[in-house]
Amino acid sequence: MSLAVNVSSLTKHYQVPEREAGLKAAAQGLFKRRYRTVKAVDDISFQIPTGEVVGFLGPNGAGKTTTLKMLSGLLHPTGGSASVLDFEPFRRSHDFLRQITLVMGNRNQLSWDLPALDSFDLQRAIYGLHADEFKKTRDEFIEILEVGSLVKQPVRNLSLGERMKMEIIGALLHKPKVLFLDEPTIGLDVTMQKRIRTFVAEYNQRYGATVLLTSHYMADVEALCKRVVVIHHGKILFDGNLSALVERFSAFKTVAFTLTDSASDLTPFGEVAARDGSRVTLRVPKEKASEVTSRLLTSLQVEDLTVEALPIEDVIASVFAIPKEAA
Amino acid sequence: MNGLRLAWSYLRIGILNEFQYRANLYIQILQTFIALAVGLIGLQLVFDQTTQLGGWSRTELLAVMGVYILMGGVIRAAIQPNMERLMDDIRNGTLDFALTKPADAQLLVSVREFRLWQTVDVLTGAIVIGVALAQLGWSLSALSALGFLSALVMGAALTYCFWLMITTTAFWFIRVNDIANLFEGLYAAGRWPVDIYPLWLRTGLTFLVPVAFAVTIPASALTGRLTFLTWLGALGLTVLFLVVSRLFWRRGLKNYSGASA
Repeated sequence: MSLAVNVSSLTKHYQVPEREAGLKAAAQGLFKRRYRTVKAVDDISFQIPTGEVVGFLGPNGAGKTTTLKMLSGLLHPTGGSASVLDFEPFRRSHDFLRQITLVMGNRNQLSWDLPALDSFDLQRAIYGLHADEFKKTRDEFIEILEVGSLVKQPVRNLSLGERMKMEIIGALLHKPKVLFLDEPTIGLDVTMQKRIRTFVAEYNQRYGATVLLTSHYMADVEALCKRVVVIHHGKILFDGNLSALVERFSAFKTVAFTLTDSASDLTPFGEVAARDGSRVTLRVPKEKASEVTSRLLTSLQVEDLTVEALPIEDVIASVFAIPKEAA
Repeated sequence: MNGLRLAWSYLRIGILNEFQYRANLYIQILQTFIALAVGLIGLQLVFDQTTQLGGWSRTELLAVMGVYILMGGVIRAAIQPNMERLMDDIRNGTLDFALTKPADAQLLVSVREFRLWQTVDVLTGAIVIGVALAQLGWSLSALSALGFLSALVMGAALTYCFWLMITTTAFWFIRVNDIANLFEGLYAAGRWPVDIYPLWLRTGLTFLVPVAFAVTIPASALTGRLTFLTWLGALGLTVLFLVVSRLFWRRGLKNYSGASA
């Protein structure tokens, strides 16, 4: 299988000016600046085969956006190498740029005062797309995202979610082979997130495109990505299947059940994570889950007992809480 | 050519955009009218006292004013809005979108905006020039006309280079928004031919801020003052500025992407 993205020992250091608080320090800074090196991305390596959808996870400031920017040619790496579709991104060759796209959920590129249709025409000019082919793709996307009645309204009159749909259409009109999606669903409601997600999945299926996606919404990642790369403090913490991530980082399971005799003392069984009347959720160490379950069933009157892995959000949160030294 | 098609597409979008703000047209017409009136009154006041200013007659100065208005319109329609957007983009990080497009980045950031209604000034400037020429008896030779047109193009190009270089410093300093005001102030000096100013100011208005090239030299062509040598000098300087500003832009871009660090 061919590789769409190949990253090896990729590193990005920033020099950031640094000073103490206060006027005196600020005045000194006018003449002599102290700089500190920040390792935004510190020696990371991973490969993405063509057509795969990979979730890129990490807390704010972990280095996700920096990595995406290096892969899309916006930033020059300090060290290591990156290749996307066999191009070196930072050379920004037109042949390379024609085959990728970058979507940033918190920034928009469509003309604010014009209907999206006009902005789409502009994309056609920028990418030099053939008129018939462009129309076909555009109308197809408009139909899938059901925005037929909205593309003729000025973008400023659209809701956040509607605008994001337009942004995504605009970003995909040239049918890129590699998609870098940086928080594409940020700030959107659940239905709208789902729409965007489905669309990305469909695009991936239809065109065999490779997708690297960052998101804070685990639902996005669960729905789209089998594989996740977790980055923290500029280093890769985990690279593998989503289920393996949960397996590896989750030390606990939840045991939920309904008590028929609500007076029972539960402390010998584990930590009570939630208790709502007779409905109880216990948090127990993973290796003790089966033992606790059998003890519960024999010593108490319980119904509807289920054992589940921790929600993925909780697992991720516990991974992100790992301090820098341990990472 | 691809670049031209791209520029045309943006021009089209810019025009569409301006049609959304019809009120701006009326405001612009009013502004142009006031500026024209103030200019004419100023000219009248000066020539109440004297018959010529630094070797320029009243009619010739009317031609200078025409070029000044016309060039001001060109700058505010096509150059300044693009550079202001570039500044905003650098500060807000939205320049990333322009840099991930398969087109020359400098071309892209230079053609994205167009303020149609500012062309009212271009039109008004052209009319004032026409009136001045009529008063001069339409004595313009074909060669002078050619000199005038080429001087206009070179003046606009030099002004663009000046703006681009100043704006590019935003890659290092992030906030350079006040340069629009600075430029407006200095450009206002172009209302009069630069040879009436003292040497230090004339030099500044020629080589630091290209007001002399934007206004005085095209006006010189109209009034038969432009020598071939000056024209050649302007051509040389334009080419030099185009090259230097491009190199400077690339250097800034390198800095933006951290390639120089």
